[in-house]
Amino acid sequence: MKLQPATLRTFTTLHSWMGLVAGFALFVAFYAGAITVFHQPLQQWATPHTAAIGSLDDAQRLLDDVLARHPEAREHVGMTFPGYELAQPTAYWQDRHGTWLFATPDNLGGSPTPPGASLPELINQLHYTLGIPVAGTWLMGVVSLLYGIALVSGFVIHLPRLAKDLFALRPGRNLKRFWQDAHNVVGVLSLPFHIVFAVTGALLCLMFVLMLALNPLVYEGKLMAASAAAMDTAPIMQKADVARPLSPLASWHARSIEVARDQGIADFVPGYLKLAHAGDAHAVVEITGTAPRGLGGGAVALDATSGTVLATQLPGARDANHATLAAVYALHFGDYGNVAVQWLYFLLGLGGAFLFYSGNLLWIESRRKRRQPEQGRSSIIMARATVGICIGVCVAVSAVFVAAQLLPWLGGNAGAGERWVCFGSWALCAIWASWRAPLHAAQELLWLAALVTALIPLAHGLATGWWFWRSAAAGHGALFAIDIGALALATGFGALARATARRGRTGGANSVWADQRR
Amino acid sequence: MWARAGAGVLPGFFLAAALVGLLGWLLPGPWESTMVAGLAAFLPLWIGVICAAFRFSSGRRAWLWLGGLALFALGLLWLLQMSGWVR
Repeated sequence: MKLQPATLRTFTTLHSWMGLVAGFALFVAFYAGAITVFHQPLQQWATPHTAAIGSLDDAQRLLDDVLARHPEAREHVGMTFPGYELAQPTAYWQDRHGTWLFATPDNLGGSPTPPGASLPELINQLHYTLGIPVAGTWLMGVVSLLYGIALVSGFVIHLPRLAKDLFALRPGRNLKRFWQDAHNVVGVLSLPFHIVFAVTGALLCLMFVLMLALNPLVYEGKLMAASAAAMDTAPIMQKADVARPLSPLASWHARSIEVARDQGIADFVPGYLKLAHAGDAHAVVEITGTAPRGLGGGAVALDATSGTVLATQLPGARDANHATLAAVYALHFGDYGNVAVQWLYFLLGLGGAFLFYSGNLLWIESRRKRRQPEQGRSSIIMARATVGICIGVCVAVSAVFVAAQLLPWLGGNAGAGERWVCFGSWALCAIWASWRAPLHAAQELLWLAALVTALIPLAHGLATGWWFWRSAAAGHGALFAIDIGALALATGFGALARATARRGRTGGANSVWADQRR
Repeated sequence: MWARAGAGVLPGFFLAAALVGLLGWLLPGPWESTMVAGLAAFLPLWIGVICAAFRFSSGRRAWLWLGGLALFALGLLWLLQMSGWVR
């Protein structure tokens, strides 16, 4: 395809600006997001692994106690089934002030801190807010939009050579060509994945704001009222003000599986429930579950006193709204299919992080002054920021993993400590990179990342006694994979550190990445 | 460059909104049945309009075209809604 030179120039400028503004945030989002794919195994890794999966009787007792103790929970309460996120069931509801409270069989009074390890949630927050409270979500929504523009513009400027250069990877004297090839091939081959993430990421972050904006413009102000029916499964019922006891929780659980099987879904696993108006004749329970063979799970709504089916939204028999919503969630979280899909998401996530990192390297390379050792100010600042922020966040994430094991072992508070470790180590890396020459900072921080990442299985073994060979022998595949994955990643960081050193010694002189002492 | 970016972001927002609205309300069935799909389609549509805005030869032309189209499309949507021809 032929493009006018002016169009090409415009889109090249657009692409570099989008990369400049959004690239760093996207690197963090993709690196942390790749790890968040495994949030469930991480939860298991970060909590003592001996806990046995609770039973439906435990869940029933928890529900009864919570409803008896907390009148607010009788209006609306949610509960995860044992083994869904945690081994034990968790009930959650909003108190009079709107604060969410969480209760477990060990803590019936409820507390504002969710149970379970804080590690997966911290990595997840890093992924969708960069750790910034409230505004972080909107910021990442805007970043996702800019990412969409970068995808379109990147595709357009690469279009004339798309087919010809697809499998070209030309190492050699021309380093810019090599990085350009690598950037292009990863970008083009994972384009469908990136389109999905630009769209779903922006939507998940901006859904509410978008609804507020579009409501008066195109929906005659009726959008909010219609959204419950479009997004929930259970119909909204008014209270009857007639007392009637709930039917047993186990009967809801069994009924939802039965209803799903009748609709052709043989592997429906109930995950969590939402119960409204407990104790009233119009009590409604909505059971949401996973169906690995469908794109996204589904939900069954029952009359919570009689077990009569009120509504269903299950794969293959959903309305357009629920089908779209399920697809958006499933495609973003990668929780359909089996573990192979999750590994694919993990690798594509790391590939995405590489895309933004190599974009920055290209930016520096194309502004390189080849005839003098001194490089432009903008190139040096970019190199420092790339090293400090991108390699820094890799160090910080690994440090959090180590802290998640060592802090409770040493008797500390994991939740608060992990945050200090995360943002403290990240800040120190950034300060280090702003002070050292980029080449040295890159090498040192990469070695640091390799070291801290290699400490992850060590900390896990020391704190819990679950050394990776013991996990493997006991058949805990997830625990083993996390420890071994950390060792593989540490090896990768080490290889990058060596490559950086080699580039400094033998690569082209007159660059921010050249060793000035040689 | 900035003028064209602004045209894509501002009038482009209203144009994308109007297109989502027209599609959602003109499709058979009540508008509620496509609302989530409409919200999901809005963002890529807006991104597309922002990128398309850079193909105009000047910022002025981009503002006039996108602004005009947005006004026309929103006006058409509101006319259809108020007259009760769509639901």
